[in-house]
Amino acid sequence: MYKDSLTYIYKNDKEIKGDLNKALQREINLARNIQSSLLNGKTPTFDGGEVCGASLPARLIGGDYYDFYPLVNGKIRIVIGDVMGKGIPAAMLMILTRGAFRSAAESTQSPGETLTAMNQAIYNDLKTLKSFVTLFCADWDPNTSTLTYANAGHNPPLYINGKSNSIEELPKIKGIMVGGLPNQVYKEQSVELNDEDTVFFYTDGIVEAINKDGEQYKLDRLISTLEQNKEKVVGDIERAVMESINKFTAGVPQKDDITMVLLKISKQKADITSLNSPVFS
Amino acid sequence: MFTFSKNTTGGYLNIYLKGDLDIEGTEVMEREITPEMEKYSVVNMDFTEVPFIDSSGMGLLLNLVHTLNKKGTTVYIVNVKKDVMEVFELLQIPDILGEGVFV
Repeated sequence: MYKDSLTYIYKNDKEIKGDLNKALQREINLARNIQSSLLNGKTPTFDGGEVCGASLPARLIGGDYYDFYPLVNGKIRIVIGDVMGKGIPAAMLMILTRGAFRSAAESTQSPGETLTAMNQAIYNDLKTLKSFVTLFCADWDPNTSTLTYANAGHNPPLYINGKSNSIEELPKIKGIMVGGLPNQVYKEQSVELNDEDTVFFYTDGIVEAINKDGEQYKLDRLISTLEQNKEKVVGDIERAVMESINKFTAGVPQKDDITMVLLKISKQKADITSLNSPVFS
Repeated sequence: MFTFSKNTTGGYLNIYLKGDLDIEGTEVMEREITPEMEKYSVVNMDFTEVPFIDSSGMGLLLNLVHTLNKKGTTVYIVNVKKDVMEVFELLQIPDILGEGVFV
């Protein structure tokens, strides 16, 4: 049959709906690929320690975020965050957050300053969109063996002491979530880390993961899993935590994204090789 | 499943929430409760039977309290469970909304 631009091809409602669903599915998959590529960027490698991160969205795409940013002074800046809401809307705001972090990390001297700059940059957008992001930002300085951190409403990371084998939350530091109030100044706290110490940063999707009986995974199970696996390398600890959560949830669809970042210190002093840090001439 | 019941006393609206205040609960609130709230001078939101609140629920509360305050309605959040209050405090919601909101 001959068709020109004026030929009308009849499609019923079902066919049109099917086309729209296919287009939507294709776009969601593309969006997921974009997010996955941005989230799973290069993990910095350095002497004297190791880092890794993993994120599992509850839906096709998620609103959790983590990132590493090697700095010119040899430090490495780590951030983990949780955007309000779920799915595609949260994923869009996660990209906004990533841009703000990358930009702020390059121009600020400390994690507190980074959070302040991020809040300054995206507060109005988040307020307009009636949303917010919780963020925890930390600088690991291998030269002084110090972890300095600031918090914007995020749950405090766990500190696994390599010598005493105790696991506890890092000393608390308060701060309003990004998008909560304008002109925030974020206070900082520091801890010294020793050989074999590990810091476990995470989002609440881990402790709030639910099983078929509606029970939550809770902090106790997380601590127990970390205790059993603390001597492993970061990648293996990460896998052990994921396996433990998967075993607990046993296929029950989760409501929230699950994200973790690990930093483990080893005996050698670190010398971070920059991946994308700014070049100052 | 998220449900609610309500009663009125004078110019006061009392809302008793029941269930997780997550994205589904938030949708129920936005659709079925929020429009009515601004008709009252005082709204008491009772959290006795709310065992869990996620970030969507937090976002809803923040916006609800701000919007209603601007329209002259005072909102009180009452009888919050300890676990839920810990999440409110982690996010410093009392600092953002004002300590007087939580009773």
